[in-house]
Amino acid sequence: MKKLSSISELTDFRHRILSEKKFEHEKLTLVVSAGTCGQASGANDIIRVIKRCILERSLQENIEIRVTGCHGFCDTEPSILVEPGLHLYPKLSIEDVPRVIEAALTGDIDEELIYREPQGQKRYYCQSDIPFFRKQTRTIIASNQKLDPIRIHNYIEQGGYAALEKVLLKSDPEWIIREVQESGLRGRGGAGFPTGKKWELARASNNGKGQKYIVCNCDEGDPGAYMDRSLLEGNPHSIIEGMMIAGIAIGATKAFIYVRGEYPLAIKHTIIALRQATDLGLLGENILNTGIDFDIEIVRGAGAFVCGEETALIKSIEGYMGEPRQRPPYPVEKGIRGCPTCINNVETLANIPVIISGGAKEYAKVGIPGNTGTKIFSLVGKIRNTGLVEVPLGIKISEVVYDIGGGPLGKAKIKAVQTGGPSGGCIPASMFDLPISYDSLAEAGSIMGSGGMIVMDDNTCMVDVAKYFMNFLKGESCGKCFTCRKGTQRMYEILDDITKGKARLEDLDLLEELALVVKDTTMCGLGQTASNPVLSTLRYFRHEFKRHIVDKRCDAFVCKELVGAPCQSACPLGTEAWRYVAHIARGEYKEAYRVIREPNPFPSICARVCDHPCESKCRAGTTGGEPVAIRSLKRFITDRFDPSTYTPKRTEWSDGEPPSVAIIGSGPAGLTAAHHLSLKGCKVTVFEAEAETGGMLTCAIPSYRLPRDIIRNEIDSLLDENITVKCNTALGKDITIKGLFKDNYKAVLLAMGAHKSRPLKLENEDVEGVYPSIEFLKAFNLRGELHAKGKVGVIGGGNSAIDAARVAIRQRDVESVTILYRRTRDEMPAFVEEIEAADQEDINIQTLVTPVKIIAENGHISAIECIKNELGDVDSSGRRRPVPIEGTEHTIQLDTLIVAIGEDSSTDCIDPVSESEIEITKWGTVQADSKTFLTNLPGVFAAGDLVTGPNTVVEAIAAGKKAAVMIERFLKNEELVRPAEPCIPKVYIEPVAVDDEMQKAGRARTPQAPAEWRKRSFAEIEVSLSVDEATREAMRCLRCDLEFTKKPEVEEKKTLPIGEKMA
Amino acid sequence: MSDEIEYTGICKTCSHAPTCAYRKRSDKPIWYCEEFDNYIPAPKKSTSSGLISILEDIQARYGYLPEGSLRVVAEKTNRSLVDIYGVATFYRAFSLKPRGKHLISVCLGTACHVRGAPAIAEEFQQQLGIRAGETTSDKEFTLETVNCLGACALGPIVVADGHYFSSVKASMVNSIIEKTLAGLDKVEIKTDQRVFPVEVSCSRCNHSLMDTRHLIDGYPSIRVTVSFNHKHGWLALSSLYGSDNVDSEYPIPLDTIVNFFCPHCHTELIGSSDCAECGAPMIPMIVRGGGVVQICSRRGCKGHMLDLSGTIID
Repeated sequence: MKKLSSISELTDFRHRILSEKKFEHEKLTLVVSAGTCGQASGANDIIRVIKRCILERSLQENIEIRVTGCHGFCDTEPSILVEPGLHLYPKLSIEDVPRVIEAALTGDIDEELIYREPQGQKRYYCQSDIPFFRKQTRTIIASNQKLDPIRIHNYIEQGGYAALEKVLLKSDPEWIIREVQESGLRGRGGAGFPTGKKWELARASNNGKGQKYIVCNCDEGDPGAYMDRSLLEGNPHSIIEGMMIAGIAIGATKAFIYVRGEYPLAIKHTIIALRQATDLGLLGENILNTGIDFDIEIVRGAGAFVCGEETALIKSIEGYMGEPRQRPPYPVEKGIRGCPTCINNVETLANIPVIISGGAKEYAKVGIPGNTGTKIFSLVGKIRNTGLVEVPLGIKISEVVYDIGGGPLGKAKIKAVQTGGPSGGCIPASMFDLPISYDSLAEAGSIMGSGGMIVMDDNTCMVDVAKYFMNFLKGESCGKCFTCRKGTQRMYEILDDITKGKARLEDLDLLEELALVVKDTTMCGLGQTASNPVLSTLRYFRHEFKRHIVDKRCDAFVCKELVGAPCQSACPLGTEAWRYVAHIARGEYKEAYRVIREPNPFPSICARVCDHPCESKCRAGTTGGEPVAIRSLKRFITDRFDPSTYTPKRTEWSDGEPPSVAIIGSGPAGLTAAHHLSLKGCKVTVFEAEAETGGMLTCAIPSYRLPRDIIRNEIDSLLDENITVKCNTALGKDITIKGLFKDNYKAVLLAMGAHKSRPLKLENEDVEGVYPSIEFLKAFNLRGELHAKGKVGVIGGGNSAIDAARVAIRQRDVESVTILYRRTRDEMPAFVEEIEAADQEDINIQTLVTPVKIIAENGHISAIECIKNELGDVDSSGRRRPVPIEGTEHTIQLDTLIVAIGEDSSTDCIDPVSESEIEITKWGTVQADSKTFLTNLPGVFAAGDLVTGPNTVVEAIAAGKKAAVMIERFLKNEELVRPAEPCIPKVYIEPVAVDDEMQKAGRARTPQAPAEWRKRSFAEIEVSLSVDEATREAMRCLRCDLEFTKKPEVEEKKTLPIGEKMA
Repeated sequence: MSDEIEYTGICKTCSHAPTCAYRKRSDKPIWYCEEFDNYIPAPKKSTSSGLISILEDIQARYGYLPEGSLRVVAEKTNRSLVDIYGVATFYRAFSLKPRGKHLISVCLGTACHVRGAPAIAEEFQQQLGIRAGETTSDKEFTLETVNCLGACALGPIVVADGHYFSSVKASMVNSIIEKTLAGLDKVEIKTDQRVFPVEVSCSRCNHSLMDTRHLIDGYPSIRVTVSFNHKHGWLALSSLYGSDNVDSEYPIPLDTIVNFFCPHCHTELIGSSDCAECGAPMIPMIVRGGGVVQICSRRGCKGHMLDLSGTIID
């Protein structure tokens, strides 16, 4: 490389590069993003295979390859971006590379490999059309994909060092400072101090030492932020140029780049860039013959968060422990070795060439007053599109999270974003309308920080997050200030106690007080902001802290000591799933049945229709594999035992005459409560409005999922001499609440469920052929009436819609069944396996359609008019709202329409007796206390769907059981609410020896009857597992319980070999 | 250029001081040598600012900071041992205890944390039978947790011997350990798609450098003449991109910077760029069909660059 010796030579050099490049302007180029994140996902392999293809096919003349830093969309890596068309091929494997090259050569696009939106199948052929990119303003980071960071020519070709040229020609440092001040640029490191102001102070500062320094701060210690790495790694020359301009502005001739040791690639690229700039004569003595000297040295940080604080950073550069010191004097007055030192963040410096080249006025047009320009955020955590996003300041959080980030990762709802790293705070989803600026974030109790934006969803525990940051800070506190050193330690201990269920409510006040003291009495930024994670989570998520302390529950399933075995805590009944699974592995089936039956009076029913929350939390599934098929194992056991053989423990009523309790409704909630109270010696009468007991179990759930004899057997086994069942007796018609108390009932439990289908509220909904789903299912399940005829349409996407559709297709006169749902398939609330089964049975599922009109002929439905939807903004449920597309109205011919858009609680029967004054919520459910189940009337309890709205069977059983406990305490005049205990495993079950093969095996698939056969039959579809299958499946259990249970010491040490003791 | 000789971090070449293995860059002083600790040249510039990078250099060599080295550093920098010890213990990157052959770092940054990194760290602890910060008794593995590795979008991240693993799940832990033990750089030359032959010629006379009689890895080798330490002889390199196998007339000591010559026109193969890994001069050769391949002239360094559109830049 020839050394340039004047400004005009630099200009000529650029012109020469550009004229050489002209010929290649439209040349096919494969751009590979190979920053740290790219390399972590395998970009280097992609590059090698591209080179191999080029060599093997001698394509050197046709294809160029450009290896660049991070493009920002890290989630798609390893990727190839094909220029000039900007076709983005994401997540490639090395086998895909030849296909991409082939398509590029022929000018085609590989439809299969091109970028698609993760939800929905829409393809995007051009990078700039992709929602992730479209809504950004990529002033700074867009350069990354245009240049190879280890080639200075690339940078110059992109207009690099033009700002330096301008500055050198102007030869007026005051002008630079004026420009930067006018641009309104604020420090991107976090505090947001105006950069121009800092430079002015540094320029004016003169303490007689002569030397001044520029420092580029790339000690990006905030865990979760990595834009500085990406910029230094992907475009190091822009930082060098920014530093040189800063140096000229303040009169510094020496500079340091302080980089974290954890960023090896950034260090490597910076070293190369410095070497090249020196070789070209842009760094060193008498730069381009202007008489200006400027030298940059790279300093590697050695892993200390506090070194991001400017006074600590200076100490570290000087070779000492990175302890901060009191300010003032500020570094601009007294910095490295006592000389004035101007410290700027990487991103701040990256903005400088942009401001100088484009002009301050242009720059200030972006953003909002007081917060100009763009800011890069690292959008990471529980979000679909992770990566670096550059947006104008003032944009709303929701735009970043939903429009650019694409919303939540899975079905879990986004709960908060954490900004500003350990010095920042958590902002709840309810505040996502907040415009992002230095000031608004501070007001919300967080800070801008270096731009980390970590998205958290329902599976993130906010107490754990606060504890995580406090653990980090107590480790990183340098120890100089007592309050920081000890305060962070004590705050951590309190948070730790909370996550372990050992804290009291008073501790929250102590925690808050401690946090405020630490904030007020520490010296540096680390200590002053160390309380933010605690204070902001306490401010917005106090309920989670209380839930940990009072209920001993961690709803995110993060805090181990409260979660115990996830399967057990996830079960509303607290069934020890791990325990019966362990028994199955050991071949102890009787024991297994006892464990299943003890907490659950309906085990055979749950073995078929439970939504198995245990499986969704199973650690075998959440850690990357497939969850243990717990429900199938339950089925395996319950199939082997007759429910009547189990004899539960009974007690006599000790307090004199046994009291009478009235239970309204014989669904799972009502019957469970009746059973439980009967075991305690109460006299129970169950009133049922229908002719049959079972509630939703019998009237809604089809028999191919739940055979009738199974329901009968299980219910019969529960009924005993303490329980009287009165069918065809409806509340409000045959009985009243007041009347029951007159009849000497001491307590009443309302458990009528939610049997009222919600209407579409369209004209003609009352014509013949239109049925609410519950009515349709009841008519068939209870009375055998076949209402579905010809072409059947079902509106809705929940379980009840699928049930209705699958029942309809089994009816004699049905031609076809179509489900119409207004959102996408991913958002259907029905169980996945139910949707799949519907598919297999040739039920047509149309998504993104909404009915707008029911067309009737002669009083009978003839067709339905629908409109197509597209996904719009995110609504309050965190899902993207379906928005009708005008002009897409179309009609679908129908003979039958079933409306299954949800059910309301059966409060109708209460309304007519409103003199009983039961309080109803605005959602039409009965108001009952979540812990005591008491309604506003003394002695009247309510539980199940009636209180919660439509819910699962297992939730109803659990509610019935808990309500029964409350009724028992009420009758005995005891305190209703007692302190909670964490639900953790207590019994030790010796594990069997499991070989690796077994643990790696996939989840057992429950055998199912073939779709063709079952379409016309109501016989049960699922078949039980075989002994062998069940044993293998049980052995896949990770035995989370063993962490909590201890092997009794007396017992002999012996593990059971596989296969022994099997039935 | 590289080879199979394994060095354990103990200096073996002190008998020829000019090629001492501890001397990575000629401008860097040698701070400590377990065998010859009397051979310690004074630093060129006596500034304290270098202390952290001095300690980093020592750690890079030994994997930790031996007590003896800290004493020498204290003496040479005119700072008290307490002072040096303070710095060595203040920063997370330094270890005062010997570390294992393989280093596994589990990222516990916020983004990784919310995506389940603690469970990954725990799985490693359980499988290796050590706690974070410890080394296995067979000195194979050291496990550490780090605050953030800056690849947050792909969390949880694990780095094993410099290789990144993204979106790690607990079920992947076992295979990461096994792969690390087997050597992550290892490629199966015969089957790996990433390995392919490159035919080269002299950048001056354009004469082919391929030697069809001398096969390495089953392919014609690249034959050049080399000179080092007053020795002069031939060197055959594997033409497979991705293979480090070489053959030479005289054994070349590790870390020696070697001069390369064209066996046909006898000019020195020299370009203008330096190795990104170690700073030694790069040796350019013309790729058949277009492009340039450059390899590092330092024995043992794997620095290389295959530039298919590039020409040699003067």
